Amino acid sequence: MKTPAFFSRDLLPRGLLACTLLSGVQVPSARAHQFWLSPSSYVGAVGRPVTVDALAGTGFRGERKPWSPTHAIRFVAGTARIIDLTQAASAGDMTWARFVPTNDGGAWIAFESTFTPIQLAAGPFDVYLQDEGLTAARNARARGIPGTPGRERYRRCAKAWLSGRDVARATLPIGMPLEIVPGAAPGSEPVLAITVLREGRPLAGALVKAWRAPLDSSGRPADPAGRDSVRIAWQAQTDASGRVSVPAREPGEWLVSVVDMVPCRGDRGADWESTWASLTFARGSR
Amino acid sequence: MGVAHVCQGIALSGRTAARRPARGFLLAIAVLAGLAPRSASAHDQSFSHADVEWARDRIDVALTVHRDDAASVLGTVSPEALMDRGVLNENAGRLAEILAARFRLQGDGNDLALRFQAAEARLREHAVSLSFRTDRFDRPVCQLTVEFGLFPAITDHETFLKVTQGRRLALQDVLTTDHARAEIYSDGPAGALAVFLTFLRAGTHHIFIGPDHILFIVGLLLLGGGVGRVLKVATAFTFAHSITLAVAALGWFTAPGWLVEPLIALSIVYVGVENVRSRPGRRDWRTRAAFCFGLVHGFGFASVLHEVGLPRHAIGWSLLAFNLGVELGQAGIVVVVTPLVAALRKYWPRVAPRAIATCSWAIIAAGTFWFMERVIEPALRLGSRL
Repeated sequence: MKTPAFFSRDLLPRGLLACTLLSGVQVPSARAHQFWLSPSSYVGAVGRPVTVDALAGTGFRGERKPWSPTHAIRFVAGTARIIDLTQAASAGDMTWARFVPTNDGGAWIAFESTFTPIQLAAGPFDVYLQDEGLTAARNARARGIPGTPGRERYRRCAKAWLSGRDVARATLPIGMPLEIVPGAAPGSEPVLAITVLREGRPLAGALVKAWRAPLDSSGRPADPAGRDSVRIAWQAQTDASGRVSVPAREPGEWLVSVVDMVPCRGDRGADWESTWASLTFARGSR
Repeated sequence: MGVAHVCQGIALSGRTAARRPARGFLLAIAVLAGLAPRSASAHDQSFSHADVEWARDRIDVALTVHRDDAASVLGTVSPEALMDRGVLNENAGRLAEILAARFRLQGDGNDLALRFQAAEARLREHAVSLSFRTDRFDRPVCQLTVEFGLFPAITDHETFLKVTQGRRLALQDVLTTDHARAEIYSDGPAGALAVFLTFLRAGTHHIFIGPDHILFIVGLLLLGGGVGRVLKVATAFTFAHSITLAVAALGWFTAPGWLVEPLIALSIVYVGVENVRSRPGRRDWRTRAAFCFGLVHGFGFASVLHEVGLPRHAIGWSLLAFNLGVELGQAGIVVVVTPLVAALRKYWPRVAPRAIATCSWAIIAAGTFWFMERVIEPALRLGSRL
């Protein structure tokens, strides 16, 4: 019988299983899942096909997520023209898109999701707010009834940059609800200045985090579902103009992420509304 | 398959550990892993894949679920331990039993039992894949129904369903708690007949469960008239709603429900008012009204058809059958109401005008109520969201 189109390989050796099992023994934490776009190559070379996956996980290691048209508001690639990628995959496909850049100006890929509801117990929710630097929400909860579960709805705004010559293309805001806008072509400078925009306006005091995963021997990103998770490489808050500089000197695949949370207005079954923005790029990729 | 689980208390059964002493170390770790509070990792959605291969004489099903979801339904083993071939094999039978009971497969309306075949750990996806096979059929199945319910406790769980018939992709769908059922029809004449009968029933059913359509037609018939006149009115309504039903069902143009539904209610009010205003010798307005409002009712029928879901390979048949079903339902109303009105006018000529006026006022009241309901309710919902 034909099985679903998943990757398969031999079962894990016992020793590796032990390590895997040990990794399950951990202290309680409230790590929220990052979400990012993972292209097969971060170089937007003419004629070289690029596949795009989406992952959710922690420590820049995650699980591939299936394409679900009902959760997508937009999924586009920006090359010389804007390409709608929402029809590139069928529901359930683990690879979201395949496309071939038509010029060497570079390309960005962007995905914006609908809201998804979630509820967490009070303790983990408060820890998560603390971890993500969501001080306003945390303070507001502190003034409320203790022990109230965190009723939230969240959405994703993920971007990836495939390197190329056109700096203007890389630095142009796409217009997502929460967006990390680079000041230069990501990966080209040792320090990447970024601006965080919420609904097109600079977001001050947002906690921006960055992770770096090494590239494989061929200079390509290592399998994000199979590699080790990494510690956070850097974090800092945006200034009054929503700007912050990410020290991305070392070669590797980079994930920059920021979360914004506001009270949820109206009867939407949630008290809080969070928006997660991410930007993935590579430095020294081939 | 990714999950938004927050803490699971999991332990391996002592029975399992005792039977496999050679794996004691690993199992102990698995126990520890299961007992330790797991991270409250969140912001991730649970999903599974259901791949159905529909052959002439049997059906193969592969259900692929995340190890966390599999472990949560088993309740006695940690997700990580399920990635071990031995542990998986020990638990696969029970997991298969649970999942098969929640994944209902019907062929031509009869339940098809799923026989568990094999289990496979998918390490890269952190998933477990179970394959099933039905018994051989005596005769080919024409209509297949899949009902979702793999993880009822996870309300946002999505199952990506893919049904193939040979090389043909028969259906791709996302099953959720809100859209938990999918129907697929086989290729060939038998499948086309199944499509036809199903949509014929759906069309007739919709007319009879929709009091608004019934009242509109009854309203048009209350003024009576000869067979020719009634046929003209009925044909105008049929012709008009067939146009918009086809246009919307084929995806060429759709009208939003918030506009169509109040307009349907208004059409009922209009018919009632015109009946009340009607005087002998006045020009018959009904054919025009039937045509104009028939266009609106067609969009209403299309929304029902959209909910049922048009089979991609038999759009023409399903559309034709649904429309015929609507006509059958409509004809049934005409056949009952027209002789009644004629009898009323013939045998109780004094009572008839008052009875018709009373019915018309009732129709106006019902239409007004539906109009208010269809305008006010969405407005209140919108207001509460702002």
